[in-house]
Amino acid sequence: MRTIRMFMITFAAVALTLCGNSHVAAQTRISIGVTETMETYNPYGDSVSLLYGIYSEVTGPFCTYNYAKGDFEGRLAERWKNENPTTWVFYLSRNYRFNDGSTVTADDVVHSLMNRVIGDPQSKQKASVAPSVTKAEAIDKFTVRIHTDKPTAPLLSFLCDRLIVTSKAAFDKYGREVADKEHMMGGGPYQLKEIIPGQRLVLQKRKDHPEAKKNPRAPDEVVYRVMREPEQRITALLNDEIQIAQFVPPHMRQRVEKSKNLKITPVDSVEIMFLAMQPKPPFDKKEVRQAVCHAINRDQLIATLLEGSASRLDGPIGPGQYGYDPNLKPKMNYDPEKAKKLLAQAGYPNGVDVELQTPVGRYTLDKQLTEAMIPMLNAAGFRARLLTPEWATLWANVQKGTTPFYYMGRGSVQDPSAALHQYFHSRETPRIGYSNPKLDELLDKEQQEFDPKKRRQYLSQAMSILTEEAPACFMWRHKLLWGLNNRVDYKPLPDARIYAIDMAVKR
Amino acid sequence: MTNYFARRLAGTVPVLLLISLLVFLLIHAAPGDPTLLLLGEETNAAEVAKAKERWGLDQPLYVQYLKFLKSAAAGDFGRSFKYTEPVARVIMTRLPATIELAIFAIIIATLLAIPLGVWAGAKPNSWIDNLGTSFGLFGISMPSFWLAIMLILLLAGVLNILPTSGRSTYGIAGPEQTGFYILDSILQKNWRAVWDALTHIFLPALALGVNMLGILMRVTRSSILEVMTEDYIQTARAKGLRENRVIWRHVTRNALIPVITVVGLELGTLLSGSIIVETVFAWPGSGSLLITALNARDYPLVTGVVMTYTLAFVSINLIIDVLYAVVDPRIRY
Repeated sequence: MRTIRMFMITFAAVALTLCGNSHVAAQTRISIGVTETMETYNPYGDSVSLLYGIYSEVTGPFCTYNYAKGDFEGRLAERWKNENPTTWVFYLSRNYRFNDGSTVTADDVVHSLMNRVIGDPQSKQKASVAPSVTKAEAIDKFTVRIHTDKPTAPLLSFLCDRLIVTSKAAFDKYGREVADKEHMMGGGPYQLKEIIPGQRLVLQKRKDHPEAKKNPRAPDEVVYRVMREPEQRITALLNDEIQIAQFVPPHMRQRVEKSKNLKITPVDSVEIMFLAMQPKPPFDKKEVRQAVCHAINRDQLIATLLEGSASRLDGPIGPGQYGYDPNLKPKMNYDPEKAKKLLAQAGYPNGVDVELQTPVGRYTLDKQLTEAMIPMLNAAGFRARLLTPEWATLWANVQKGTTPFYYMGRGSVQDPSAALHQYFHSRETPRIGYSNPKLDELLDKEQQEFDPKKRRQYLSQAMSILTEEAPACFMWRHKLLWGLNNRVDYKPLPDARIYAIDMAVKR
Repeated sequence: MTNYFARRLAGTVPVLLLISLLVFLLIHAAPGDPTLLLLGEETNAAEVAKAKERWGLDQPLYVQYLKFLKSAAAGDFGRSFKYTEPVARVIMTRLPATIELAIFAIIIATLLAIPLGVWAGAKPNSWIDNLGTSFGLFGISMPSFWLAIMLILLLAGVLNILPTSGRSTYGIAGPEQTGFYILDSILQKNWRAVWDALTHIFLPALALGVNMLGILMRVTRSSILEVMTEDYIQTARAKGLRENRVIWRHVTRNALIPVITVVGLELGTLLSGSIIVETVFAWPGSGSLLITALNARDYPLVTGVVMTYTLAFVSINLIIDVLYAVVDPRIRY
């Protein structure tokens, strides 16, 4: 009898333990090592890619760019239309609810856009999210009308994956600071659970959310951990401290691939890398700029230093980016002899001194790649020197237009309009200072053209001028390498935003 | 004594003023514009102008400095450009992490350095002396950022016995009370959280403390060597005391006075050393905060953090001065 009792007790204990474990196992948690910091409770208080992604997931997103389709698609805003070139109407889903159960309405969108993004002095997002928006109004509970000060065909590229829609009621009730810190309300599939600035941010899945119901294997909890050092991210990935490591450097790829529990998933970034040349001597001559482009052996740099982790650009953008034209001409192939001839034609038969400036550690192997470009430039007749100023200094000088020759990246180029305007339109910024009335005209036209076919034509013509005139040499798009644990299925996005709702975790 | 203290206290005011002026001028003279760094890549001239007006950057530098002084005198360092919160509040949320790290670095350094230093000093030119001296030299020479990466590789990577970074594992610690995780967890009797916090703090504290360990070890050794030649030590030996008792009771107690001074002074150095270590280990303290502020050219926050560190240095020196005066009354005059 005693033996039977002991057996029953032992069995019950084991069963209870197993039940307890299965309860724990039912919750899935994914930790992600990320490189950008999460420093503020205010969702509008910063303008970095990672935060746009996280808060978009918490609050919607409003709409999103589908890289497979090469077009924008609805989420919180299900669909939209243009009433006229300066007026857009967005129709909201009726199924999005805030964490407290209240419905996300047009008033919340108007409040978020006008009071938080545009009107709030603490916002740092106006230029990135709503550069030409002058007014937003609620037509009815689920319809919003947005007015712009000029025709803005690429408006969706500003609003989608960026507009963070928070609760107007919470803001009115608690005020900005308390609402953001203690009552962060969103209508997205995840809700904010914890932020420790500089250390981590935790999201929890809302199982009743329409998007969460579509993908029940999405992780229940997501922990974003700040890990700026690559060594730290890779070690943590190998130890299973994290299950996803953002941006594995090419030289660390093998360490990850050697582990049977891990895999590397590459994705072509939408960040375009280029060498910019201000049209001041010696770069005032087109031939000198073209000589730079012909002097750099991009294929060799990609094959060696980048170990294949980049895609060559034969124009400002590549496949998957809006307006990409595979037949764009001319192509600036590696041809050092041609570069020498062009330099001589420009009046520099004995070479010319140039100083290339690069950030250090901001982009993948930026210093090593530009170091390797110096002998290539010298072989083509330049007398090149490399300068490595600190990022804040370089960036300030680029923005002021006082850096003649520099290596730079431009991220978030799903639609190239904003990037092309910023760097190459004569009336926008002095970053390069290039001026070409024909190019300006084409860029103005594409921004005001709502017919996608015509717009793509204008973009293609503009990009052809840029390739020929070469105010910049377009180098490559890095392949972003993501280290993933085999328990996680996830296809990283080219803009490096992270949407946990698109992940699948093996339980 | 009161007069002496008042004089020393008054002497700190010009130091603080001078440092504030230097920091203010240096950070404003550094190339880089906070508006261009913080407003995102798509920002335009109109937005930049608005931000400059909002942050007071459109005013002459001397006006900005005088305004800063006026509010700083009331304990207000302004509002952080990046965090959009009062600077004092941002610093106070990060300072406990740095203090906790510094305390642990001191504990590790003193626990290892003093026995090693005593041993090396008591047996000069022996193998233990050579080993200790080499170890001290290693500690002083080793750059903390390199050591930090090596520690991550070895203890977190190869041996996999400690976490790579951060201050705690999500979901273990209870609600924050004092900001000191270990203390909070002890108060809440959450022993799992205490262990978790200890495993997280060990690597950064070791990386931070190794330099201090080297210095302390060498100071202890020199001090022991000096005291060993004193007459009263010979007397103690002549009385027939055992060597261990002579060393630990008579030599070490007297030799530790300069060591304690060095520990006090090194506390300030630890605060500044934490800037690099915190960045490598993603430790959310005031050191990593300073790096973030510098990268963003967040002028109020940079000034606030540097002034906090200055205040810490000055206070430590003031305390040491006062303690000296207590120990030796001749110093008061």
